[in-house]
Parts: sequence; C-alpha cells; structure tokens
Amino acid sequence: MAAWKLLSTGMGFLQSSLPFCRQVRGYYVDWRMVRDVKRRQMAFEYADTRLRINAIRKNTILPKELQEIADKEIAALPRDSCPVRIRNRCVMTSRPRGVKRRWRLSRIVFRHLADHNQMSGIQRSMW
Amino acid sequence: MRPERLYVSGGCRTVDCAAQGNNARLPSTKCKERESLASGIWAPCTARPLGTSSISFSGNKESSTSLSEGKENEPEKNEANAEVNTDGQNAEVNEVTENSQQTLTSQLETEPVVKPEDSKQVEKTKSGKESLLELLGAMKVEVTTARKIRPSKTSRMSERPDQEPMESAHSMFQHAAAEGSPQHGTLNPALVAAVSAAASTLPNKHQAESELLKQLRKHEAVPDTHRRADGQNIGHIIADMKVGRRPNGRSNARPTSQIRFDDDGKGYTQERGITGELDGVRKRKSPFTSPTLWDIDLANHIVQTTNQMPRNGFEEMIQWTKEGKLWQYPINNEAGLEEEASVPFHEHVFLEKHLDESFPRQGPVRHFMELVITGLAKNHHLTVQQKKNILTGSETTSDRKMMS
Repeated sequence: MAAWKLLSTGMGFLQSSLPFCRQVRGYYVDWRMVRDVKRRQMAFEYADTRLRINAIRKNTILPKELQEIADKEIAALPRDSCPVRIRNRCVMTSRPRGVKRRWRLSRIVFRHLADHNQMSGIQRSMW
Repeated sequence: MRPERLYVSGGCRTVDCAAQGNNARLPSTKCKERESLASGIWAPCTARPLGTSSISFSGNKESSTSLSEGKENEPEKNEANAEVNTDGQNAEVNEVTENSQQTLTSQLETEPVVKPEDSKQVEKTKSGKESLLELLGAMKVEVTTARKIRPSKTSRMSERPDQEPMESAHSMFQHAAAEGSPQHGTLNPALVAAVSAAASTLPNKHQAESELLKQLRKHEAVPDTHRRADGQNIGHIIADMKVGRRPNGRSNARPTSQIRFDDDGKGYTQERGITGELDGVRKRKSPFTSPTLWDIDLANHIVQTTNQMPRNGFEEMIQWTKEGKLWQYPINNEAGLEEEASVPFHEHVFLEKHLDESFPRQGPVRHFMELVITGLAKNHHLTVQQKKNILTGSETTSDRKMMS
C-alpha cells in the first residue's frame, strides 16, 4: 500500500522512537506528511475491523438494533483509522493539491523532473 | 492546462514497478528448488521398488521438512543401497502408500536406513505390517514452506521419526550389543563399495564412511528377536551415532531465532520444531561442527564490510526477488500459499461447523452468517485458519459481541 511505500522510502520514522527520548529523525518533508503516514498506517490496521462493522451496518437483513450498535462501535474507533482522512500528497514536496496519482508527484515536481529527462517515457508532446 | 498534457508517457513503468515492487510476495523458489532437486534425484530410485519398512518411517515422520535433507541424504545413501533390495512386500506396499511426492521422498530417505535390515528380516517385518497400516492411517504429511536455505548436512530424517522409542530402543540396543557378537565377520563387498562412494560425497569422508560401515555391521549383528517394529531401528541408528560424539560443550548455545550461516554464506533461522531434542542429536551426528559464535561473528563482519550494493539493475532485481519484494518468475499464482495446496477443499467449503452451537438457527442473524459463510467459501485467497478466525470472531471480538 502507499503507506508502506512511504515507510520504506522514508526510513522507518515511527519505528525509531525509543523510550530514551532520542531525537526522532526522519526523512518526511513536513509534519503534515508525517500525520498522513500515521493515518495510512492506522487505516491499514483497522481495515478489516471497519470492513466487518460496515458489513453489518450496510445490509438490509439484520435488525436495526444491531445496526445501531454497529454504528456506535465504528464511531468509537480512532478517528485516524478511517481511510477518508488520507490525503494523497506529493511524495517530494507534500503538496496536497495538484498531485497526479500515477506518479504521486505534484504538478510542479513532475514538470521539473520531466524537463530534466528524469521521467522514463515522458516527453513533451506536440500534435 | 495540466502538465501531463505536455508530456507523453510511452509506457512509463518505473514508478509503477517501484510501487508494485513493495507488494510482499513470499519467495517460493527455495521450495521449488528442493522439489525439483528431489524429483530429479528421485527418478533413478524409481527403478527400485520400495521396501515395506520404509513406509513405517513415513508414518512416523511428523513433517516432511526433511525434503531438504532427503536431497542431501539421497545421493549418499542411494549408492549404499544399490545392491540391497527387498522383493517381498513391494507390491502390497506400493498399493498402501500414498502417492504424494512428500511421502515418497520421505520413504526414500528412510529407505536407505532401513534397507540393510530389510535384507535380513523379511519375515520379521511382516509382523510389523499391522502396525504399519495403523501408522499409515494416522499419518500426517505436512509441507512447510517456512523453511529457509537447507540446514546443515545432518540427516535429520533419521532423528525425527522416533523420539519416543529412542530411549527404549537405546536400551534395547544395549541389550543386543551386550548379548550378541557379530554373526557375520564380513560385509557384503558391494555394500562396502557403495558406502565408500557415498561417504566420498560428504565433507568428512573418513568419519562418515566409518560411521556408515559401523551401521551396516551393527544392523547385521543385532539378532532377529530384537527387531520388533521398524520404527525402533531408527532409534538404534541414533544410538549408534552416540559413539562418535564429540564434546561440544555450549557451542550450540545461541538463541533459536538467531540467523545461522551455512557454508555457502546464506543464512537460515533455526526451525521451531523439536529443536531441543534435535540439537542434542545433531551435535553427535554432524560430520562437521556446527558454526560457533565466532564463525557467525566473522560471517557478519564479512557481510558488513564487503560491498554488497547491487552494481546494476539486474542485481537490484535479484536482490529484491530474494527479499520477496518482486514476484518470482515464472509467475506462480499461489506464491506464498504452498501449504494451502495440501488442505482438502471440503475444509474451505463446509464452514458451518466453526459457528457456535448456540448460534440461532432461524432468523436474520443466521441468514447473515450464512451469507458470510458462502462468501468465505468462495474466497480463494484466505487460508482455512483465517476463515476460522473470522467466523469465530477471534479476529475482532467486537463482531462476536454484537452477534450474541
């Protein structure tokens, strides 16, 4: 998943937190990117649970009481566990807008790399 | 205007490859190598019919992890048994045995050990035939894929099958050794030649040869009355190995999860199995001492100092494939699911037994659960254990609380 890609490229930032209060050193661009990574990890953890609770909530067979209980349960889960809060940021600059999904880059970085011939198979188009 | 309208990508796949590369695909080459090797070595052996007693060992065996050892043991011991052959019960045996490759390879591994005795005791094994059939009924063949690169070249096969009878077998053997003097002073010269050929394949030639010859001599020396079940002969062999024991002290004292290094420099973690007993037996049986802590330290040092960065894209891909980030080619759809191949289909389909008995039989809840069961039955990607966990709610206890 994208979360793991960020982790593997960004050198286990969250795994390096030791109890001796060493400085946390990571390679993420800014704190918003860090929070996004945390959200992705949590969404991965709770994905199965949410799937099952939603399967109970969103069907017509079970009685309404059960569905209400399921509603409360899913509301009780941590807020960062829902995948809706994940934002596809640019990998290089953490820009939240103008990010092309295929390359995970914002438009500015994409243009920069493509003009310097760093993107394989991308060329200036004219027709 | 969007930037990519100015650019055209002609099948750019670098980023996609990197993205996909992180999908964890469990490496399955190791098992494939072993299977192909085992099958390759197995081919010449098919000419010889299998002995009855060999089946009993496959019955006693708990797991077929010794595929790897089979690969190593087969070359050494197949020659030892070039001449020895049992014709008596082969036809019946072949009907009885399962035809899975694991059991056959396991039989091949047990074959060499048993053959010397078989050649002498055709009638005695008949009495053990009933126990054989019982063992076959209780036989369970496990295929484990969690094995790493082959462990040290100890014949673990002969250690595994019988841990319980070992003590009794050992005492029996002591009786036998005390009573009987060797009846035959000479061994079959063909056997001796085979032993020397087999021992030459092992690293420690002379010791292996002497041990094998000792085994042969003792098999012939033990009187018939002391050969009861075939399973106990393995115990004899293990007891034999005690003679050549070297005091290793605490050389094997290392955490079981620590990576060891084989001779070729590849690492493997100690298998969690009957490790305690195996360690003791393997110490005596190994033709060379297992790597000491200093060897491991040296190997780590070498690995860290030498430049292991991939020089080009090919080496990088090789490294990623070994780590499991890339798929193995040719593409195997069931990569990582080799164990599941041996699970019978009815365990996947008939999942109602995992539901509680107290579960309501009628009503919407039951309807819902039956839909869940049907969906799980059609799911090709989950293991039976996972499905069971889902149904019993041990995955998420909140589901069960809501159901009740």
